[in-house]
Amino acid sequence: MTQTASLSDSPRRQALNLQLLILFGILILVMGISTILTPKFLSYVNMVNVMMQVAMIMLTGSAAVLLMIAGNFDLSVGMVLALSGVMFAFMSKNGIPTPAALVLAVLIGSAFGALNGALVVGLKITPVIATLGTMYVAQGLAFIVAWIDGGANVTTGLPRDFEVFGRTMVGPIPLFLWIVFVLILVFYFLFAKTNLRKYAFAIGGNRVAARLSGIKVGSVIMTLYVLVGTLTGFAGMTLASRMGSGSPKVGTGFEFDVIVAVVLGGTSIYGGEGSFLGMILGALIIGFVGNTLNLLNVMFFYQTVLKGLILVGAVLLTRVIKERQG
Amino acid sequence: MSADTGRSETLLEIRGISKHFPGVDALRNVSFDVRRNTVHCIVGENGAGKSTLIKILTGAETRSGGSITFNGAEFNPRSTREAMHSGISVLFQELNVVNQLTVEQNLSLGKETTRLGFFRKDPHLVDRVYKVLQSLDPSIGLHRRVADLSVAQKQVIEIAKAIASDSNVIIMDEPTAALSEDEVNRLFAIIKALRTKNVTVIYISHRLREIFEIGDFVTVLRDGQMIGTRQLSELTGAGVGEGESTAELIKMMLGKMVAEHYIASPVDRSTTVLEMRGVTTGKLKGVSFSLYKNEILGFYGLIGSGKTEIARAIFGLDPKEGETLIHGQPVALATPEEAIRRGIALVPEERRTEGLVAKLALRENIPLMNIDSISRLGIFSAKRERRLARSYMKKLRIVARDENHVVEKLSGGNQQKVVLAKCMNADSRILLMDEPTRGIDVGAKEEIHNLIRELARGGTSVIVFSSELPEILNLCDRIILLYGGRIREIVENGPEADSERIMHVVTGGAEG
Repeated sequence: MTQTASLSDSPRRQALNLQLLILFGILILVMGISTILTPKFLSYVNMVNVMMQVAMIMLTGSAAVLLMIAGNFDLSVGMVLALSGVMFAFMSKNGIPTPAALVLAVLIGSAFGALNGALVVGLKITPVIATLGTMYVAQGLAFIVAWIDGGANVTTGLPRDFEVFGRTMVGPIPLFLWIVFVLILVFYFLFAKTNLRKYAFAIGGNRVAARLSGIKVGSVIMTLYVLVGTLTGFAGMTLASRMGSGSPKVGTGFEFDVIVAVVLGGTSIYGGEGSFLGMILGALIIGFVGNTLNLLNVMFFYQTVLKGLILVGAVLLTRVIKERQG
Repeated sequence: MSADTGRSETLLEIRGISKHFPGVDALRNVSFDVRRNTVHCIVGENGAGKSTLIKILTGAETRSGGSITFNGAEFNPRSTREAMHSGISVLFQELNVVNQLTVEQNLSLGKETTRLGFFRKDPHLVDRVYKVLQSLDPSIGLHRRVADLSVAQKQVIEIAKAIASDSNVIIMDEPTAALSEDEVNRLFAIIKALRTKNVTVIYISHRLREIFEIGDFVTVLRDGQMIGTRQLSELTGAGVGEGESTAELIKMMLGKMVAEHYIASPVDRSTTVLEMRGVTTGKLKGVSFSLYKNEILGFYGLIGSGKTEIARAIFGLDPKEGETLIHGQPVALATPEEAIRRGIALVPEERRTEGLVAKLALRENIPLMNIDSISRLGIFSAKRERRLARSYMKKLRIVARDENHVVEKLSGGNQQKVVLAKCMNADSRILLMDEPTRGIDVGAKEEIHNLIRELARGGTSVIVFSSELPEILNLCDRIILLYGGRIREIVENGPEADSERIMHVVTGGAEG
């Protein structure tokens, strides 16, 4: 039965499987090289540290992969991540009980998602332009709040319980990593098994046909933007709690990491095709590469160059595989 | 045929032209001559091969066989630019003018000379074109913005450009489609004047009246084959009334009916499924009709008559005024989602761009209009999806490797069956089919027609929108004739249905 299933797999599917295999190979290679270059790479402290970064990319990526499959795009996630963290710190510092501030910080992410959705769906602004706009709005707001607080970051005078969420350990692994893990599983289920998947692939593959089939294209895209925003808000709140401060600079380049992870995973920037597992592998690769370069004290600028090359390389890789498979 | 190369009577000699596309013969062994300084008309139904012929003449497509002699020399254009240089220009339906520029700037467009990479104004060129323009229509000023001109005036600009660049032949593809009565007359005056400017016109149109008014010769195409070339003065010769000559031409266009014939559906006239009263949109004017249970209702009209617009209005794609009733209940039908909920499904005109998600598999396309058929509480079952696809593959005889076959790799007929399966799976009671068999070969065409008849027998009411009269006459129980966004007449189909009179009505001829 399994054999007949694999025989009858569509070429698209085969191309995707091959891409996942190649990504897995690259991941092993990256880990091998990193271990050889720096013994610190596999240490417990470093692994928790790198997994924290990777988890954030995966978390936003879990919803962003569906958004991109539906032919849309969110550039604002980096700055929304920063704003949620800054607001979490600012609110809990200014008298709002930390648990309430925590929820509100996540909701700020949702609100930005809804704003993006409204601009794209309601006002029909191209996703790249709309989310570029909200990206700057979020960035500006994060800096303004930090400035009102009286500095570059919101660090001093935070309540004692501010760091509880980020610092609590369950066994050898931080609590928030468990939660992120569960969330990613939930979104994997959403991706693999629910109607949302059907809608996203149909809309990204042919928006007109989807509309003529009675799919509520606007509501689906709106939902996806809100999901991306919410997860990003959660990630921002978590990072702030973990670091014990809200920093407007924390999200720089985050949107880029998410896009690289999704595209590296075989999702087309034009929508209509993509893979969740690919995104997970992509996030691990981009996270490990960045981490190793950090450990080797390679300057930030070189990292940016390398990530840029990885993005272009990923697109080329996907294309070559697809052409091979016909 | 004299081989005199100097000024032979024959300007363009087309011999045994054919064009094959995968699975379709668009043109088969077409031969005719175009004489110098005449207006040569080409007529035929949609899909008869007119546009393929134009594309070959203008270098947009290469022919699969045959030869073309132009001005006494072999003619093998490899691009439209090359054809233009040899003296053949086209006036497309989509005009090639830039609205944001002035008339003067448009006149020199595409003819700019550059020097060291900078544009150089060529006053002689503009002068020359302007002189031609003046002789055609003196009312067009050089410094007016093209956006302020009428469609007809824009056409004149294009004609002037073509003449000034020494075109011997101007091909006009349905040039009157967007013109008012007045503008049509002006255009015809210009076309008649072109003969004296040493220009030959190849005129493509659906409208037979126009052909009799300005044509010298007419070539009729049907199903990619040439039926014949006639001198129009012969057709309208002494003792022949206008009606008879039109009839002769219509007969040539339609030919004999194919073997398929009309089978009456068990229409239940006591149950009105859908009723529209005075529906008006941007293009439709006061459209009223009823659709009965088990009926196949046909809408017939030429391009631009409003067929697709009626389908769009019913399916909630265009805002509309007027009343719509389903089973006697007034409904809004404002969105496709609402239309589907109320049991209406649409098989759109363009199946690749509107009907299917081409990159997805057959199995993924079929449930799209009714996801609930494979899912519960928002969670779908891959097993039910597979079973659903297999059952439709069997029921509609869809030829594919298996249910995972990507739909873009299926043939046109099988793709259309997938769209049909998608609509059937939505449990629709009213099925709208816009051009149900366009671009589908004859065998699959009949299969689709049989499926439509089966659906009607099974209790579905079907509305067919088609620009192919044989299809309408074979399928539909009643035929609604459209012209200019209005209903001209509702005809009961049967052995007495008179296709020539139908053609007469939808081409804008007087009623009676």
